[in-house]
Order: sequence, then C-alpha cells, then structure tokens
Amino acid sequence: MGKATVIPFGPQHPVLPEPLHLDLVVQDETVIDCLPQIGFVHRGLEKLVETRDYDQFIYVAERICGICAMGHSLGYAETVEDLMGVEVPKRGEYLRVIWHELSRIHSHLLWLGLAADAFGFESLFMHCWRLRERILDIFEKTTGGRVILSVVCVGGVRRDIEDTELAAICQTLEGIKAEYQQIMDTLLTDISVKDRTVGVGVLTHDQAVALSMVGPFARASNVPYDVRTFGRGAYGDLTDFAPITSDEGDCYARVKVRCQEVLQSIGIIEELAAKIPAGDISVKVKGNPEPGARAANVLEQPRGECYYYAQGNGTKFLERMRMRTPTSQNLAGMVEALKGCDLADVNMIILTIDPCISCTER
Amino acid sequence: MGFQSVFTPLERSAVHEDAASRQAQGWRYVQMLAVNNEDDVDVVYSYMKYGALDNVVISALPKDAHLPSITDLYLEAFVCENEIHDLFGITFDGLAIDFLGNFYRVSTEFPMTITSPEKLAMMEKQRKLEEKKAQAEAAKAQKAKEAAKGKAAESPADISGATADGQLIDAEMEAKLAAMPPEKAAKVRAAMEAKARAAKKAAEGEDA
Repeated sequence: MGKATVIPFGPQHPVLPEPLHLDLVVQDETVIDCLPQIGFVHRGLEKLVETRDYDQFIYVAERICGICAMGHSLGYAETVEDLMGVEVPKRGEYLRVIWHELSRIHSHLLWLGLAADAFGFESLFMHCWRLRERILDIFEKTTGGRVILSVVCVGGVRRDIEDTELAAICQTLEGIKAEYQQIMDTLLTDISVKDRTVGVGVLTHDQAVALSMVGPFARASNVPYDVRTFGRGAYGDLTDFAPITSDEGDCYARVKVRCQEVLQSIGIIEELAAKIPAGDISVKVKGNPEPGARAANVLEQPRGECYYYAQGNGTKFLERMRMRTPTSQNLAGMVEALKGCDLADVNMIILTIDPCISCTER
Repeated sequence: MGFQSVFTPLERSAVHEDAASRQAQGWRYVQMLAVNNEDDVDVVYSYMKYGALDNVVISALPKDAHLPSITDLYLEAFVCENEIHDLFGITFDGLAIDFLGNFYRVSTEFPMTITSPEKLAMMEKQRKLEEKKAQAEAAKAQKAKEAAKGKAAESPADISGATADGQLIDAEMEAKLAAMPPEKAAKVRAAMEAKARAAKKAAEGEDA
C-alpha cells in the first residue's frame, strides 16, 4: 500500500459548474476519505429579508439559483401563505405545478447533459441541451423569462396560460417525448455510459436512510421519499403518483431515476393540463404576518426536498427567512459515496448528486 | 400521505437526548436554523417522520451559547451546525466535521446577529414614506376644501362656513404638530410656511 496523499479537487474544475472544494485523501488511486468545503459564493441572501417586503423577497428567493428559480419562488410563496393563512385559487395551484414540473424537466435535462459531458459523450450533451431549449421556449412564451420566471406571487400566480396554449404545450411535450426516448435509451443502454456509471459510488438503502438523503440521490438507493406524495396543491389531485426508485444505489441508478422522472413530469403536466379548472389565478393578500408567527414547509425541488421557514414580526418585513437546500442535505451522502472509489470516478460521483452550491450557500 | 408542520418547545439541556430518541424512533433529520432576537438567539431543529414535520424550538439562548452537536447521531447536520456557528456565533461541542469558523468566508463576524444599517435605513425610509403619504393625503384634502372655499366665495352667504372649515383644518394641523417630536414639528412648520409663501408669491404673480 502506498502512502496516503491529500489531493485538492476544485473549487475550479471542468466538471464543476459551481465552486466546491474537496480534500481527497488518496492511497494508490483509491479515495479513502474526503473533506468537503464550500463557502466561496455565500451572498447573505437570507439577511436581505430584513430589507425587502415579504412580497418583494420572492424576487430575491428566485435569484438564489438559476436552475431552481421556479422552485424557490414557489416554496417561499407557499411558506408565506401558510404564515398568513392565505388560500390560493385552484387554477393558480395548477399553474404553479405545471411550471414547477417544466422546471424539473429543464433541470434534469441540463443535468443529464452535464453528466454526458462529464463522461466525455459530447454529442449526447448537446442533444440533451437541445431538448432543454424547447422547455425554455415554453417558459419564454408563457412567462416572458427563460430562467428567472417571476411568475409566482404570494397568493397565486401573476399570469394565466390560456387553454389553447396549454394544449400547445402538451403537443410540444409529446414531440419532446419521442426524441427524449432516444436519448434515454442511449443513456441507459450505451456501453460507454455503463462503463462509467455501473457499480460506481454505491450507497446502500441503509446508508441513505441513516444520512437522511433526499431527492433522486436517495431514490436511487431505494428510499421512496418524494415530497410530492404529500399532495400539496395540485399534486393532491393527481390520480396516480408514486416516487420513481431504483435499488442499485450507484451512479447508473441516479441517471436512471432522473431519466424516468422527466417522463413522469411530462405525465403530470399532461394530466393537470387536462384537469385544470377555470377561475381566478390569485387572491389579493392584505396585511402583514403576525408578530412571532412561524411557518415551515417542504417542497420537492429537482434535486430533492427543500425546507423553507418564515417568521413574521408584525411588519411587512419578515423577521427570518431560511431555506435548507437538497445539496446541503446530500453532502454527507456524497462524502460517504466517495469513500473507496477510484480517483478517476470522483467527478462522476460528485456530479450524480447534482450539486447546487449557489442554493446551498445562499 | 398528508403533511403537517408543528413547532414544539424544548429545554436546552435536552437537545442531544431528544435527537437520540428521535433517531431510535426512525425520525429523519431535516435541518437546523437559528433566529436572531434582540438579546438572544432561538435554534430550531427539524425532524420528519411519515409526513409529520416536527420543528423543535430551543428559545432564548445567549448569543455565545454552547450546544451539544448532534453530528454523532446525524452526520449530515455538520453543514447546518457549521453555518450557525459562522453566522450566529453559537458553538456546537463535539462537531464531527468542525471548520472552526471557516465554513463561510464572511467579512463580518456573526453577520446574522447584527441589525444591519440597511435594515435601519429601510425602516426609516418606510416611516418617511408613510409620513409623506399622510401629508399628501392631507394636502389633497386641504386642496379640496380650498376648492370648495373658492366656490363658496362666489356666493357671499357661505363665507362664514368656509372660514370655519379653514379654522378647523388649522386646529387639526396644530393637534398633529403637537403630537410630533419638537424637531420634526419645527421642520414641518418651516415646510408649511415655505409652501404658503410660494403659494402667495404665485398668487401675486397671477394678479400682476
């Protein structure tokens, strides 16, 4: 056995879109321990709640991260609505979920592209991002924005989608589905993809439960935890929803779960577009949160469960706003998955937790 | 499966014991957060089981308090514990992965415990905006009264009533000024006088 050496990984690395540093303790090309370090992009956004109205802060919340923008605005709005006892009209709830699921599709396609890029499959990366563009086009058509949508407000949503437009979205998604199936087949059957992912970074079900892991990272280790099963908002009206799980617990399983979740999200959008009721899209919210009132909420972001907390102080500024992101919860799982892996597999394992450092540091 | 979020108070001394019993009962660790109050800090631990989100609140901890770390039970809590230490100054004893205050690169020590000048400025701005709004409303009402007075001047029989209204407005203004702090009242008086002078000058200009 060779001597243990510490190899720094990141914060600047081709596989990392965001700054994450790891001290990898390596012995004979095998990682025996790992120490993660973040803190390069902490912006103090939670403190901004002291100087922004509760309805203005929604713009800050969605700028915490570009990829999770829709989810953060939705999670924040739901928490403030809980705090103030606001009930959102049904049509508003449906529209929120439709946009949120579109956001999940765009996030997963982005991630699948990045994963393909990480194992050197350039053309697959481009195909994933080509499909993602069509989702961004839907966003642009329905909200005016491609990444930051600014469509959720406390009390509902700002814009409606006409029924004809919803039908057009479903048609676009049907078109995407056929093309996506081909990409998915490549991702799940191609030998060069399997070589890099099968049996790499295995986390067992027990480890995933013990480390309280969330999102596709946990579901790939057969933990059937998905916040959408709680049925908040329009999720409660879905006829049949079950989390997608896999029991291998390796990088391949994480790719597989995310691949299938794209199709699941398309199914959710199609079902809700067919069922969406007519009516108002938002209610006017009056008054301020009561002093000392607290609310906590969870939301299934593309990367997993995200926790939101809001506390009022009687003014239009919140006393405290907090979000705990899925990556923050999955860091311990990532460290565990890295232990015992080959040095060449480190980038794949890090990528398969789909780390979002901007969210984690806020 | 439904979702329910509750807040449960807990004694400071029972933090670790509570976490251990929850782990044994199969509760999942969700998160930890701190809330800065004027003189102390609250810490909230969240656990979940079958859709029940239990937020355990440890109230009124001193700003330099020590709490036992729960990373021996839930390793994943190391992120939140290091974060709370760096931003709020609470120390967690026995932290499994301790960054010793270097988790976040912050330029100010414990920034979340400081009431920021921005917050104070914003509150002041808010107060001024509300004041301005009230003044604008008062001015609007005054203008409406003056317009009514102008109409009344055309019919001499109404002059006494309009004068009485003017006196009433003056009395209301005096009462408002009396309720204000002296410095602010002086400023408002000066502004009102300047406004009156400007109005008089404009009226003289029109006459000429």
